[in-house]
Amino acid sequence: MLEIENLSITSKKETLVKNLTMSIDSGEWFALVGESGSGKSLTASAIGGLLPSNLSIKSGSIRVCNQDTVNMKIRQRFLGNTITYIFQDYSGAFTPFLKIGAQLDEVLKAHTSWSRSERRVAVEEALRKVKLPETVYEKYPLQLSGGQLQRAAIASAMMLKPSLLIADEPTTALDALTAQHVLTLIHELASEAGCAVLFITHDLRHVKKHATRVGVLKEGTLVETGTKKEVFTNPKHPYTNMLLRSIPDLKSETTRLITSEYDAL
Amino acid sequence: MKRRRLRRKSIVVIWLCLVLGFIAATYLAPHDPLSIDPTNRLQPVTLEHMFGTDHLGRDVLSRILHGAKTTVGTSILVILIVLSIGVPIGIIAGGIGGVVDRVFMRITDAFMAFPDFIVAIVLSGLLGPGMVNLMMAIILVKWTSYARLVRSTVIEEKGKNYILIAELNGVPPLVILFKHLFPHVIGNVLVLGTLDIGKVILMIASLSYIGLGAQPPAPEWGAMLNEGRAYFQLAPHLMVVPGLAIVLVVLATNLLGDRLRDYYDVKTGGS
Repeated sequence: MLEIENLSITSKKETLVKNLTMSIDSGEWFALVGESGSGKSLTASAIGGLLPSNLSIKSGSIRVCNQDTVNMKIRQRFLGNTITYIFQDYSGAFTPFLKIGAQLDEVLKAHTSWSRSERRVAVEEALRKVKLPETVYEKYPLQLSGGQLQRAAIASAMMLKPSLLIADEPTTALDALTAQHVLTLIHELASEAGCAVLFITHDLRHVKKHATRVGVLKEGTLVETGTKKEVFTNPKHPYTNMLLRSIPDLKSETTRLITSEYDAL
Repeated sequence: MKRRRLRRKSIVVIWLCLVLGFIAATYLAPHDPLSIDPTNRLQPVTLEHMFGTDHLGRDVLSRILHGAKTTVGTSILVILIVLSIGVPIGIIAGGIGGVVDRVFMRITDAFMAFPDFIVAIVLSGLLGPGMVNLMMAIILVKWTSYARLVRSTVIEEKGKNYILIAELNGVPPLVILFKHLFPHVIGNVLVLGTLDIGKVILMIASLSYIGLGAQPPAPEWGAMLNEGRAYFQLAPHLMVVPGLAIVLVVLATNLLGDRLRDYYDVKTGGS
């Protein structure tokens, strides 16, 4: 589904992602974890060709559905129904002047030749799937809450049944309960569509609950990959070990990140 | 929601009144604004001449009403032309970016370096006094601020996630431009444009006052002020009436501009 080989992303001064190699099969939920600045989001951006102009892919290849995307010029047609994104900033996901329904309709219009009424039915169906009331169709983004907006964004992303969903910290801006709902929703929709998920987060609790495979990124290098079970029960790299120990746990008392240990790494 | 609709209504009403006012002005005028009557010169306010007569015996009320067409009509026309030049340039510069943007913005900088009033005086001086040349001069110095405003709005909005998401979702670029970007631009531009109508009225009036705009005997408020100057002590109404007309119209456009700003400001005027 997605194969990344020896990917290096550089700015003018330094290499931000180093020789990253990973792959995701369809139907898989791959969680990419690591601290801020470790290159998680950069990797996600690189897949869709969304890197900021001061960064570039120095070497390596990214293949989505056996198509090399690194040198692809017209990404528009291929994006949207093959790869789709959900971002952290839900409030910026919709244009404030247009109704939610109209914006979802636009997406369908760009990809299908359906009539207006067919599209309306499809949009309402998509909204129902993310458990939003039908009235949302006629609402402006300002009138929805954060969780509702993020769900509408999911509806928009999953409407076209993409092969790969890239969720770049989709729950960081939401409260814990809403985050759970949103993730469960993504999980349901993704497994229904048989779509692979690249889930970027630094919250290991979510990884524990939803992921099938995990990759740990540290300072641009993928230090460990494996199934969730392997990584969680038998971490090979000391950094992974440290990350795992920092998961807040109700039972144990010593869950704080020990800074001296961190420096030693 | 109710307040919003009310505001929209009042803005439409104000604009309708303005347009109707200008159309009606010509027909409401009780006398020919150009007919000279030396026997009745410098008449005070009477029933027949409600604002008196000027030094050639012309009816001041009629001249004010006809002058509205020149002063206010020209300003609105100037702003419309300025918009049709500045907005596309701003959209192109902001939308395309890169070299195109830099070239356009350096041109804008060059135009902005001139103080507008001086350019207007120089141009009218070079091309000869007259309304058309005056309009050209004002257009030449005014379009830059619109190009800048539109460019910065486009650049600001272009960086936002929803534009990126619309692009990712395969929405065609023109649709993004008109449906996603344009609403942001149009609000700002309308507000600035309305506020600028007042400034352009003042500019036309002041340049006509120093003899570079409307030429006698055409009725124009600034020129009327100038003509009345010599007789100020004998017949103060010759300056007071056109002066008041200018003040009131400029005030009205400014208030309208403020109101439009409230209306288009998503934070205060939104639902």
